[in-house]
Amino acid sequence: MNIYQITFWILSLFTLAFAIGVIMSRNPINSVLFLILTFFCISGHYVLMNAQFLAIVNIIVYAGAIMVLFLFVIMLMNLNSDTEPQKNFLVQFAGVVSGGALLLIMVAAIKSSLTGLEGKNIDLINSTDIGLIKNLGTVLFTTYVFPFEIASVLFLSAMVGAVVLGKKDSALKTAE
Amino acid sequence: MILLEAFSTPVNYFPILIQLVLAIGFVIVMMGATHLLGPKRKTTDKLENFECGIEQEGNARQPLAVKYFLVAILFVLFDVEVIFFYPYAINFRELGWNGFIAVVMFVAFFILGFTYIIKKGALNWED
Amino acid sequence: MNAIVLSGIWGVVMMFAGLFLKSSKQIQWTALLGIIALLVVSILDYQAHSVQAQTYFGMMTIDVYTSWFSILITACCAMYLLIFHKDIAAVGKNEAEYFALIFFVMCGVYLLASYSNLLILFLGIEILSIPQYILAGSDKENIKSNEASLKYFLMGAFSTGLLLMGMTLIYGATGSFDITSEKFVGQFEQLSSMSSLSFVGILLLLISFGFKVSAAPLHLWTPDVYDGSPTAFTPFMATIVKVSVFVAFIRLFHFSFGNVSDAWQIAIASMIVLTLIIGNVTAVYQQSLKRMMAYSSIAQAGFMLFSIFAVNSTLAYKGILLYSVVYSLASIGVFAVIIKMKDYTYDGFNGLAKKQPVLAFTATVCLLSLVGIPLTGGFFAKYFVLSAVVEQGKYIWIVVFAVLMAAISAYYYFRVIRSMYFKTGEAAMHTEPTTWDKTLLILNAMIILLLGVLPSLVFG
Repeated sequence: MNIYQITFWILSLFTLAFAIGVIMSRNPINSVLFLILTFFCISGHYVLMNAQFLAIVNIIVYAGAIMVLFLFVIMLMNLNSDTEPQKNFLVQFAGVVSGGALLLIMVAAIKSSLTGLEGKNIDLINSTDIGLIKNLGTVLFTTYVFPFEIASVLFLSAMVGAVVLGKKDSALKTAE
Repeated sequence: MILLEAFSTPVNYFPILIQLVLAIGFVIVMMGATHLLGPKRKTTDKLENFECGIEQEGNARQPLAVKYFLVAILFVLFDVEVIFFYPYAINFRELGWNGFIAVVMFVAFFILGFTYIIKKGALNWED
Repeated sequence: MNAIVLSGIWGVVMMFAGLFLKSSKQIQWTALLGIIALLVVSILDYQAHSVQAQTYFGMMTIDVYTSWFSILITACCAMYLLIFHKDIAAVGKNEAEYFALIFFVMCGVYLLASYSNLLILFLGIEILSIPQYILAGSDKENIKSNEASLKYFLMGAFSTGLLLMGMTLIYGATGSFDITSEKFVGQFEQLSSMSSLSFVGILLLLISFGFKVSAAPLHLWTPDVYDGSPTAFTPFMATIVKVSVFVAFIRLFHFSFGNVSDAWQIAIASMIVLTLIIGNVTAVYQQSLKRMMAYSSIAQAGFMLFSIFAVNSTLAYKGILLYSVVYSLASIGVFAVIIKMKDYTYDGFNGLAKKQPVLAFTATVCLLSLVGIPLTGGFFAKYFVLSAVVEQGKYIWIVVFAVLMAAISAYYYFRVIRSMYFKTGEAAMHTEPTTWDKTLLILNAMIILLLGVLPSLVFG
């Protein structure tokens, strides 16, 4: 076991523990804080995979901006009363069965796709450089330039949507 | 460039990991230690939330105005836009005019969106 | 390709039209101008691509089939905007933005019609969905509209997550996003060459797709969303958006996963059976016509699923083209009458034939087309998709079952006709239809009747 593997296992352990914390904690604020920690751990994984740009973006956008948004959403809600709806037993049971079935299928698929690869360690030390910002930029602005431009339409529609839903209607009249 | 290449494997980030562990460890140890070692005298006045000396009133858990949310979501959109500049800046020379045109088109859409937001008064706090 | 660019740009134009144009009339005219321009551009696109297929950036492959579909769907959207533009503007104060969002959706529709890269599929689905979440909640004062928006958003975001997960697994198996690349085609050459990751990937794509077109058992959001959204936007979501998702996934499942159809056909078959049963049987028990149309759109999706089920048959392609147009126009026609009414229940339609004979007649034509009565376009649409399955020779019993379900659907569609013609009542109107409205509705009904005689008109 080299240092990579040790880091990987520790990080994975933390990621899973925090992710379980997100869904297990009763207080939504705690959930969000756990989610931030999960994102940090995932960023650690990105670094291990030699994708440093993604790691930083993950922290800036997800842990930074989107989590702030999550907190705002939670603060929009009424947190005083403990209003978590209690699902009945049948629904919970069905959820566990279907979720478990999906997990089983995923694990089985990944396991069987690994046949023939036993004994091969993923080479982390000489991993590819594709995740580095330089290569990523080259690909983004040459091969994937079309989706990049199209994404701006997506952003615009989100912008319009935010204004339509979030802006008070009465204020619009005076602005005109 | 040399700087970039020097930091292109995960092992270069090991010092950061150590620093992170040390920093978090220090904070946890210090907070734990003061908590355990310090004397504790709990009175109702002391346990009350501090509100600049005025007696607290009302509930802190008031729903927030939607305005904050609007600003936050607009911030996220522009934040994501800025992220795309990093890969462009690194490859600025190699990409040449084609890359420049691509970025200008992308930014033009955003500037149009920004003008729209300003004109619409979405960032006006008082309404 | 030009249609994609124009729809994006016209969305921006509409945004600014709301800022600079004072009167609501001018905004509506700008939108109508935009959709006409879009129609012209997509026809020009069709002429440019009719000779040979063209690829753009390795992301889009535009050929005769896709650009022809773009024309048809733009025409349907033009019809929708012509009929509903006043009602759209009446939904709320941000009228220009609603039109802008509709143009952004059209941009997504064009992307979905001609993508050849999974990344564009994802972007297309997102550009299609996000404006819809907003349109669903645009009636901000109405709590049902809020509920519709939130429900649609949460479920939609979750299903998009599944879509991404499916793409990730397929990427893991093939190593490529490009559905025309050798790696991708090689992976799906035959069942034995497929990696187990691809199986799960296809399954997840299927689930996400079923959600987007509201196929049972992933239909649960549909009645609440279609019922809660402003009536002006429901026909848009139920027709144009839904059929373009169908076309997008036919592309993927026939062209890319066609050779491995044994892996997913059984799933589609069970989806069809469930969708037809749940859609039709639940629609029978509805009291509100708007909610009935929501269930009817589920049931119609069940029929459209047949075109995905019948792999690599030209009949299936023809079927989905015809079905898209006929179903869209018929639903738009029915909703155009619903929105004019004050009371959306069946009783609210009592005596409409006496009061508004034109509205009652056009609604009848549209409803007959939805049932699939001969001499309306709906008959040939159903005929083509069902005979595609017969031609394929597998699972013939589903066709029999579908015909049975079409008979059930006749019950709730005819109930509306009975209310309009054979019951007495005042049929209170919300807004009186103008001559222009009536002309459009008659034109709409005429097109449906024409397609019932000459279905080959939509095959291009």
